[in-house]
Amino acid sequence: MTAVAVTLAPVRPAPPPPVPRTYRGLGERLAPYAYIAPFFIIFAVFGLFPFAFTFYVALFDWNPIGDQVFIGVDNFTRMFGDPRFWNAAGNTVSIWALSTIPQLLLALVLAHVLNHARLRFALFFRMSMLVPYVTSVAATAIVFVQLFDRDYGLLNWLLGLVGVQPVDFVQSTWGSHVLIATMVIWRWFGYTTLLYLASLQAVPRAIYEAAAIDGAGAWQRFRHITVPSLRPVIIFTVVTSTIGGLQIFTEPLLIATGAPLTCGAVRQCQTLTLFLYEQGFGQFEFGYGSAVGVALFVMVVAIAAVNYLLSSRIRADR
Amino acid sequence: MTLRPPLLLAVAALVLATSCTPGAGGGGGGDGKSFEFWSFAAINQKLSVDAYRAKRPDVEVKLTEVGTSVETAQALTTALAGGKVPDLVLIQGDNLPQFVQQPQNFVDLRTLGADDMAGDYLDWVWKQSVAKDGEVLGVPTDVGGMAVAYRTDLFAAAGLPTDPEAVSALWPTWDAFIETGKRYKQATGKAFTDNAATSVFYQAVNQVSEKYYSEDRKLVYETNPQVKAAFELGIKAATAGITAGQSSFESAWSAGMAQGQYAAVSAPSWMLNTIRSTAPDTNGKWNIAKIPGGSGNWGGSYLAIPKRAKNPQAAWDYIKEMQSPQGQLEHFTRVGALPSTPSVYQDPKLADAKDPFFSDAPTGKIYTDAVLGLKPFYIGPDSATIGQEFLNAITNVEQSGGDPATAWDDAVRNIKTAIGG
Repeated sequence: MTAVAVTLAPVRPAPPPPVPRTYRGLGERLAPYAYIAPFFIIFAVFGLFPFAFTFYVALFDWNPIGDQVFIGVDNFTRMFGDPRFWNAAGNTVSIWALSTIPQLLLALVLAHVLNHARLRFALFFRMSMLVPYVTSVAATAIVFVQLFDRDYGLLNWLLGLVGVQPVDFVQSTWGSHVLIATMVIWRWFGYTTLLYLASLQAVPRAIYEAAAIDGAGAWQRFRHITVPSLRPVIIFTVVTSTIGGLQIFTEPLLIATGAPLTCGAVRQCQTLTLFLYEQGFGQFEFGYGSAVGVALFVMVVAIAAVNYLLSSRIRADR
Repeated sequence: MTLRPPLLLAVAALVLATSCTPGAGGGGGGDGKSFEFWSFAAINQKLSVDAYRAKRPDVEVKLTEVGTSVETAQALTTALAGGKVPDLVLIQGDNLPQFVQQPQNFVDLRTLGADDMAGDYLDWVWKQSVAKDGEVLGVPTDVGGMAVAYRTDLFAAAGLPTDPEAVSALWPTWDAFIETGKRYKQATGKAFTDNAATSVFYQAVNQVSEKYYSEDRKLVYETNPQVKAAFELGIKAATAGITAGQSSFESAWSAGMAQGQYAAVSAPSWMLNTIRSTAPDTNGKWNIAKIPGGSGNWGGSYLAIPKRAKNPQAAWDYIKEMQSPQGQLEHFTRVGALPSTPSVYQDPKLADAKDPFFSDAPTGKIYTDAVLGLKPFYIGPDSATIGQEFLNAITNVEQSGGDPATAWDDAVRNIKTAIGG
């Protein structure tokens, strides 16, 4: 190769004379930037600026209709000593764990089943998985709250048939977490399943057939073929659902209609985003609300960093 | 996966709302022939607006029913911080102090002639909208005198008297009210009232001579024995097994109301409308008795004009016309909201008013009595937050199995966290 390069070098034509800097040339060089500008302008106005400004507001005691006083890191000191913040953080982690782990396991099994070669009406089953995902969260919440209602709910009626005392899902800590997690699972399992399924279809069917001929049972095929081939997409869904889990907002806002901003009398299901919203738009303490937003940002970045380490290790294993 | 936008949107909204300077720009500049009016939903404000349209056909009123009273206050705050403000806005009494603290956002109604009207209104109601330098920010539209609405059919079934006089005599005090609840529960096995937090505590705590602030506007909620006593009553009711454990205005509460699950509910004057609309089938099965513990007030609203309003004069004309003593009296005959102008309390239209939905109870007399005997107290900027934390503590004991012994300390600790004191 080097020989070719050497022999070619002398015959390369001299560079053309530089094009004069005309107006047209300038326009051509700027045109691409103009084409992509709409996105970046909108992003700067609605994404970048608010994002940076949040850090600024977090340093103030900021009354939207009154005074704005610079108080340094006082909002953060207050936040670290605020039991409501830690309660919201705990609730967020608990709801995330209750929703993500069962959801991913369920999706894994469903994807495996839907990938079965002899499944009839496969397209119908695959598409119907997406129905909860395209249903509005608010509509889902209204229906689930009624299903889980203490006095008039279908679920408690069924429990009553087998002699169980009515459970007050919304007012109890674990009950409200289960209720929210159920809604999250309901909404996202189909989406996750389709991600797994898409990835599974890239696995040659011959591998499954060969394994079956070698005497591998259904469980062994699932354990040794399905799961390993899905590893990258599993990591992806773990990360995205974790970031999503940190931002659960609509479901807790809608289930305790008497005290929506705290998700109940004792903040039993108030998540971090809901706490941010309560402080920002319920109490109108914009500074403190922004400080919570900054904390949330730090957590999301930390999780993204862990993800980066994990996925680069997986790449190294291969 | 589109999971980032919610965070971005929340932050963007937070920042958009902060990035505009409050109070920027003066008012005026509108055509003076129309104005925008923000009110709460479900209080039939439309009837008043229609009446005004009939009187002043040349003026266009754009009425927006924003949502609950709290949602309206939140929308107003956001608008004041940098959005398009209405020309006229209704503010509920509990939300008023946070706006009175920042008078620069509103038109001082004295500049439009409010001083001449001040004498028409209940003095303690008027004073709540006066800011620190004497600015008048709002005109009171109504007050919420308190009473108890009860189901005559359910009372009869439990062997309790049904005549309003006899029922009022059952409960001269809140302790007696709780005892009556126990009798009812024993006779029927069913819940007596909807919940302890709003039906007992919130009523009792509005019957005090001094609430969360002292007269010289210092926080005293922690040491005021009257607040503690009202709280203990709430806890007592919560643990007596006489409540259905349904928080007021939740969807299940409305369902319970429609199904006749509560024999007695606290009924400030504006609650009658709520009962009527959530449980239309119970027409004629209710009556109204006196509230235990004497008179008191819960609620009532004010009309205010934001500083940046385009048509302040048109909005003021509306206030003058519709909130005059006669205007409030007419509004009472339309929706039953109790006037804040005592000069009409003797008017037969009010004094002799009866409500057929509530077995022809003399609503006019019951509610004016409740308000006239009232001991006014100062409502401060943190009153709403403090009240909410106390309610939460009682609801926790009633519905989430909280420990009644530590409820007071928990509530006080939560209040300190919330108001940063």
